[in-house]
Formats: sequence, structure tokens, C-alpha cells
Amino acid sequence: MGLLEGAIIYANLLVLLSIGLTLTYITTAVPNFAQGSFAVFGSYVALTLSRLAGIHPYHSLLICFILGGVLGWLTYLLALKPLIRREANVVTLMIATLAWDLILLGIIGAYSEILGRATHSFGSKFIFTHLDFSIVGLPAIFPVSTVVIVITLSGLFLLLYKTKFGVALRASMENPSLAEIMGVDIEHTRMFSWFLSGALAAMAGCLLPFKQEVVPATGAIIIVSIFAASIVGGLGSIYGALLGGYIVGLSESLITYEISIFMGTGVLVYGKVVSLLILIATLLVAPRGLTGVKWRKVVKWSSNIRS
Amino acid sequence: MELEHTLINILLWFALYVIVTLSLNVEYGYAGIPNFGRDLAVLMGAIAVGGIVNRILIALLGISNPNITTASGMAKSTVDGMIAQNPAMGIGLLVLILLLSGIVGAVTGAIFILPSAKLESDYLAITLLAISEVALMVCYYNTDIVGGYYGCPTPDVLAFVSGGMRDVVFTVLVLFVAFIVYQFVERLLNTPYGRLLKAMRENEDVIRAFGKNVMITRIKTVAVGSGIASMAGVLYTLYTGNVSGVVYIFSRVSWTFYPFLIVLLGGAGNNRGVVLGTLSFVAIQRLLDEYKHNITAFLNLPFDVNWLQFILFGIMMLLILLYRPEGILKEKPVMTEPIKKLAEKKAK
Repeated sequence: MGLLEGAIIYANLLVLLSIGLTLTYITTAVPNFAQGSFAVFGSYVALTLSRLAGIHPYHSLLICFILGGVLGWLTYLLALKPLIRREANVVTLMIATLAWDLILLGIIGAYSEILGRATHSFGSKFIFTHLDFSIVGLPAIFPVSTVVIVITLSGLFLLLYKTKFGVALRASMENPSLAEIMGVDIEHTRMFSWFLSGALAAMAGCLLPFKQEVVPATGAIIIVSIFAASIVGGLGSIYGALLGGYIVGLSESLITYEISIFMGTGVLVYGKVVSLLILIATLLVAPRGLTGVKWRKVVKWSSNIRS
Repeated sequence: MELEHTLINILLWFALYVIVTLSLNVEYGYAGIPNFGRDLAVLMGAIAVGGIVNRILIALLGISNPNITTASGMAKSTVDGMIAQNPAMGIGLLVLILLLSGIVGAVTGAIFILPSAKLESDYLAITLLAISEVALMVCYYNTDIVGGYYGCPTPDVLAFVSGGMRDVVFTVLVLFVAFIVYQFVERLLNTPYGRLLKAMRENEDVIRAFGKNVMITRIKTVAVGSGIASMAGVLYTLYTGNVSGVVYIFSRVSWTFYPFLIVLLGGAGNNRGVVLGTLSFVAIQRLLDEYKHNITAFLNLPFDVNWLQFILFGIMMLLILLYRPEGILKEKPVMTEPIKKLAEKKAK
């Protein structure tokens, strides 16, 4: 796998994850710390289907989508909705998603050992690269992840801009109370966004083992990148998640590689440090992310300086 | 003997967790700072021992092995021998390490909280979690800082105590430190400063209007909290004799999530409640850990009990948030002299 292809594959998966995170943040106003575990859940669904039923992970994408969606929906229903009804503040809701993340970690970890025993092979650490084949000299994961992204984005676009439900969804993102007055059921839009968020994350998780090794704790490792991606683009915008996902995903792989040329391969650990630095720099310079910057003002300001 | 061992284990963890949870209570319970990166301070304690003190000892003893894990092992065996002959040296070293970790923790904490100048609750929490998570990952995967996943042995400051008594003496020692921390925190918070923190938690604009600097108050608070928490990191590292007790993959669960669980269980903003919460949590957790083989056999579990522990404590957290967000002991209003008078008037 070439460096650039690897970086693009990783960025594609990160985009799926950050779109989900942004969607739920827009509708529910809580950053979901369990997003990484949603992905690992998807990885294990794919692993189970592959080992027990012999289904190739690419064919289990749809099943991952549905099961991941159910997981996302359950997250909202069990962990968040009761608290929102009691008007809990955002810190409480964040702690609830942390708790949910821990529950998922426990379930996934326990399941990995059960699966390992049932299939007489190691379940707590796995990779799918040996299942991959090549298409015109490229590993299939490259076109597959790209196609998944294209389908997801066009589906999302059609849904948000061409259907009545999409109008209602966008309205409740822009101004929840006004949308409620106009007869939009906020509960529906929230549940739907959680379903979609879980579904996209599980699809990313299904493809992740083609790129890197997955362990039950992988969620904790990728969560920093997901947050960085969503925040760089702007937590309030779905385009932002797309933009941020590619910026963070590509720079994490490429910048780390550039540094490793000068400083040796030991620095490959520092991919997450790159994400963290991008995250902090964005928050300090433009806390609303790239899509939150008023670019016209910036252009005006810079031309004023020049003249 | 079995029961005695369990009891000592519970007391040790109780003392360790009291230190961490009280520090978190200062930051979250009193000042309302959502510090989702508590484990960074604990990690700093481990680094103070494994990364700094070990390197000083290696340099003093003139060991020329580039591998920190091996060199620390060599330094440890020499230093342990010296401490076994001379107890004063062990105690001196312990005090020195605690002071050092307090300083390292406080400085790190002060820098760590700087992003809060521009960020509010959710963004701040994400940033703090991200910083500590990345710091932990770097320390775990880079074997040059404190040995990474290989770990790194640390000197036994109680090498002069005979093997059988070591656990008991160590537990007493940690309990003593926890007691001092409790006294310190109680005194610190029962002052105008403590009330300032509570006011900041409720409404930052109010304390700004009274001419207080929110940012400086935050920096001070997190510096104090992190300084205290790093001592727990030091004590646990010294107890196990290796940094790997703190520098490991689930550190966020042990040193950020569980402390949050305890503070919410006991009662945020109430130190006594937090101590009580710590005792209840540690008793459950240690008993689960102690009897995990029995539990596995009894329930015929096809997996490790640790995973079950994660699920149980996650559910417990959700239930606390939902049914008793104020904790076992509710936060009480601060009874200063003017408020007492007011209350008396009202009673009349």
C-alpha cells in the first residue's frame, strides 16, 4: 500500500466518523465520546460475519450500517434521552457518553474473548488485510472506501436537500425551538441523527481493519483524531466534518511520514500528536472551525493590510 | 490471612483514590472545571519517578546503559541495597520524590488548563481529554521516556522493611499522605478562596464583576489539583515498583473515569461525601478483583472479569447521573458568620 493511498483510505474512514459525530452534536449538542467504540463495534460485527458465516467484510457493510444504526439509536435512547428530559447540563451528558463508551468497551472486550474461544483463534487483535484483493494494482480498500464515501455523501445530500424530512432535519439543526413551533418533532430528528451516526461509524469500523490492527481499545486511540477532524471543520457543520476529516486524516499520515524521514521511524507514534496540535491550533485561532470563519471578512482584512 | 490481605488491599486503594478524587473534587466539584484529563496528572507522577528520579539516580551511579528500562533496573538494585542499610535514605528519597512530583504536576496542570482561556465546557473537556490521551499514548508507545510498554522499575523506598510487612507499612504510609491531603483540601476550601471557586462554578461573570480574574483562579486550582493527583501516581508507582501500573492502555478508565464516578457517587462539592464514595467504590472494585477467579468459575464466564467490571461501573455511572446526581452526601451551603446570622434571623 502506497503512502498516499494509505493516507486517503484513513482520511475516508475518518470522514465517515466525523460526519457522524458532527450530526449528533448538531442535533443533541453533546460531543459523543463513544464514537470510537461505535467503529470498533462495526469491526467486530464484520469479524464475526467473516469468521462464522464466511461473509467477506465488504459484503457485510450493509449489515454493519443497520446494526451500527441500532447501536447509535440505543445510545440516545438509553444513555442520553432520560438525562435530557431532566434538563441535565452538557457536562453531565458528556460524562454519560463516557460511561456508555466504557460499557461498550466492556461488552466488546468480553465479546472478543468469547469469539476467540468459539472460533479457536485470537479475537482481541485482528486485521483484514489478508482478505483484501487488488483492483488494477491498488488494494481494493482504496476504491471501496472511496465509493462508500461518495455514496454516503450523495445520500446525505439527497436526504437533507431533496426530501421534506431533510428540510425538517435542517430546520431543527438551525433553530430547534422554532422548528418545534412549526410542528417538527425534535425527538425524531435526534433519533435519526443518532441512528445515522452509529451506522456511518460502524461502516468505517468495518473497513478499518483493512488499514490497521484493531483491538477492543482502538476506540480510545482514534477518538482524538475524530474530535480533531470535527473541530477543525467546525462542530456545527456537516461540510466542516468532511473538510476536517480530510485535513486531519491526510496530515496525520503525511506529516508524520515527513518527520520520520528526518528523525527515524520512532516518530510514527506521533500521528496522534499531529492531530492534537491541529486541534489545539484550530481552537485557539478559530474556535468555530474552518467553516465558522467569516472568510469574506478575512479577505477584506488582509486586503486592507496590503493597501 | 486471606481476609487480612483483602482488607489491606482495600485500604491501600482507598487511600490512593482518596488523593485523586479529592483533587478532582477541588477542580470539578468546587470549581466546576470538567477535567476529563485527570489521568495526565497521575501520569506525571509516574514520570516524576520513572523518568526524572530514575535518570538522576542512573547519572549519580554512573550507569552507562542507554536503555532506560535496563538501566533503571540496575539503579534500582543498587539503591535498594543502600536503602536496606540506611532507612533514612529511603524516607528522604520518598519525600524528595513527592515534592518533585508535586511541582511537576502543578506546572503541568497550570500549562494544561491554558486552553480554557478561550474554550467553554464541552470544547474544553474534549481538549483536556485529547491532551491527556495523546500524552499517555506517547508515553506508552515510546519506550525512551519511561520504558513505554516494557515499563521501568523504580527504587523501593521501603527496602528496609521486611517483605511480609511491606504492604502494611506502605498502606499506612499512603493513608498518612491521604490524611494530610484531606486536611489540606478541607482547610484550603474553607476559605474565601474555596467560596470563590464555588461562585466561579455557578457564574463566572459574577466573580468577574467582583474583580477576580477567572483565568488565574482556574490556573491556580488546576495546578493545586494536579500537584495533589500526581502524588497518587508516585505512590502507586513506588508501591508496585514499576511505572507500568500507571502507564498502561486503560489508564483513562482507572485515573479519569473512576475518579469522576467516585466524585459523583460521593457528592460533588462535598469532601466528606467524596471520601465516603471512595470507600464504597473501592470496596466493590477490590472485592470484584480479589474474587475474580471465583466469579469466573461460579458464573462460568467465558471472559475476563475486568470487562464485566467496565460494564458494571459504566451502568453504575449512568444510574447515578439519572437517579442521584447530587451523590450520597449532598453539598451543603457554606456557613460563614454573616450567613449564620441570616439563617438565625430567618429561623426567628
